[in-house]
Amino acid sequence: MSNDVVLDVRDLKLHFRTRKGSVQAVDGVSFQLKRGRTLAVVGESGCGKTSLVKAIMRLLPRNIEVYSGEVYFNGVDVMKYSDEQFRKEIRWKKMAMVPQASMNSLNPVIRIADQIAEPLLLHNKDMTKEKAMERVAEVFSIVGLPLDFLQRYPFELSGGMRQRATIAMALVTNPELVVLDEPSSALDLLTQANLMNVLKRIKHEMGTTFILITHDIGTASELADEIAVMYAGEMVERCSAEYFYDDARHPYSNKLMASVPTLREDKELQFIPGQPPSLINPPTGCRFAERCHKRFKKCAEHPPVVDVGHGQRVQCWLYDEEGEVKHA
Amino acid sequence: MPSTALKMQPETRQAMPILAVEDLHTWFEIRRMGFFKAGDVRALDGVSFELYAGETVSIVGESGCGKSTLAKTILGLHKPTKGKIYFEGKDLSELDKHQLKEYRAKVGYIQQDPYGALPSFMTVERILKEPMIINGITDKDEQKRRIRQVLEEVKLAPIEDFLPKFPHMLSGGQQQRLVIARAMILQPRLLIADEPVSMLDASVRVEILQLLQKLQYDHNLAIIYITHDLSTVRYFSERIFSMYGAKIIEKAATKSLLKNPLHPYTQALFEATSDPDAENLKTFKDVPTGEPPSLLNPPPGCRFHPRCRKMIKGLCDVEIPPEFQVTEDQSTACWLYKDHAQGK
Repeated sequence: MSNDVVLDVRDLKLHFRTRKGSVQAVDGVSFQLKRGRTLAVVGESGCGKTSLVKAIMRLLPRNIEVYSGEVYFNGVDVMKYSDEQFRKEIRWKKMAMVPQASMNSLNPVIRIADQIAEPLLLHNKDMTKEKAMERVAEVFSIVGLPLDFLQRYPFELSGGMRQRATIAMALVTNPELVVLDEPSSALDLLTQANLMNVLKRIKHEMGTTFILITHDIGTASELADEIAVMYAGEMVERCSAEYFYDDARHPYSNKLMASVPTLREDKELQFIPGQPPSLINPPTGCRFAERCHKRFKKCAEHPPVVDVGHGQRVQCWLYDEEGEVKHA
Repeated sequence: MPSTALKMQPETRQAMPILAVEDLHTWFEIRRMGFFKAGDVRALDGVSFELYAGETVSIVGESGCGKSTLAKTILGLHKPTKGKIYFEGKDLSELDKHQLKEYRAKVGYIQQDPYGALPSFMTVERILKEPMIINGITDKDEQKRRIRQVLEEVKLAPIEDFLPKFPHMLSGGQQQRLVIARAMILQPRLLIADEPVSMLDASVRVEILQLLQKLQYDHNLAIIYITHDLSTVRYFSERIFSMYGAKIIEKAATKSLLKNPLHPYTQALFEATSDPDAENLKTFKDVPTGEPPSLLNPPPGCRFHPRCRKMIKGLCDVEIPPEFQVTEDQSTACWLYKDHAQGK
């Protein structure tokens, strides 16, 4: 494995146990992510985007039925680590996360600076309070927060500032991988654009690797080097951002792109009729087949992942036999 | 009707706007310790416009700019501090209780969060019956006929399957369609849609917008579409009003605005909206930093001036800009265009 691959996920599965049966939230997802690159995971709500990163970060609820696969982080399979070892060595030290709506879950009675310093003090026994505060001031300026906000309480900050604070909290331990779960969807347009500028700068200057989860493909394009499309617990397409917007191959990706309204260009908008399948008993064949306009006989079987060139990988029967289009 | 409002209309329009809003102010009083007045939050500060039957107007702006207050004031949920609202030529403040009820039946409201807007303990059938019971449509057959008709219109089929369902049994898109059905059941003349698609997935959004468009066409409805998302606007409305700091700062035909936004704030909104494009990776967005103004203590002069790069010292920070008519279908409240004729 080449050295600059930070994250290599192979056949990751995460199924939840519920009264109605097993929910296959993540079902056999594989991907690689190189250092300094950003992967945007897009898809409709309920397609397993958040479950995927929770499985990678091992932030799991109790009702787990299946949790399997391999997650190589810097070449080491961290799935073999015990929970305690993972907590001590990986989570927040090497991989940090900004959970969805985390800007609203800052502790209201603790000053911002103390909250941001917490992961530092927890993960590093030798760290003194003063040193930690120095580092907090450093990340504060990285995310573009004025230093006189250090001693404020969360309610004294606006939404955009609180979101920056949660990103500062993720960056404070200087992790190699940062997962951002819908970082900007609750923010206003201008605040959102400013935040994307901040993230872009961090990416360029510090070389941090990001996984960005979003349902907004327009925003994703600001940061993403690679795009992964998830549908019903599976990763149906993964490719470089360069090719994705104009040359997505999976019929679901095409439909998804056709449903995105654009400001600068006039196009006919389409929607995807029907609904995603239940993840409790998903179809055995292609999970998108029922809504697909290019469906054919083969789709009743589970499609293979096909490389259609320049690293674009599509899980679809249309491109079977070495990327050749059979039923276009 | 005020005479100034009539002069502005192109001849193709019907003579009377369905809705006319004149210098509308909605202020909320802030009290300290329960009864000392500590000031007003000027949520709506001098808004005027007209709306004609069969027309869609989009109101764009960020949260806190007063767009929802505008909607709620028009709906009669807030009492305006100053200014008038005319609906079909009648002044709302002069209506009695009974007439007000009639007015409310003619104005439909589509909320942002469909799940929050639907009572979780009522079935679909009951939810749709409720407005009819309140408005005195008691005939059982008429009720059934109307329920069937709106459900068909919003495409919740097969109807029989949906009637006994509770809101949590519907998907997000279906819930929003039920909200639309409820707004339509009293056969309104005006629909106010407050961020109707912002909680929905992209693939469903288009479906809901197309549905609204079809309803508008079929019923010659006027629609006020409130959104923060400029990119959906072009597919949906004829005119755009851009709001900032409790005021409308730009009014324009959608086509003109998308070609050439005038106000620096509208330009910033435009710049901040990303279309999917790999080129975005390479550039930074040129957007103003800072926060929208406090409406308790708005800055003097133009409310955007503290964030505006084209600010003219001694003018923008002193005097409130009036509306300038820059082109035939585009006007803006910005001192940069002071050489153009002043609008009304």
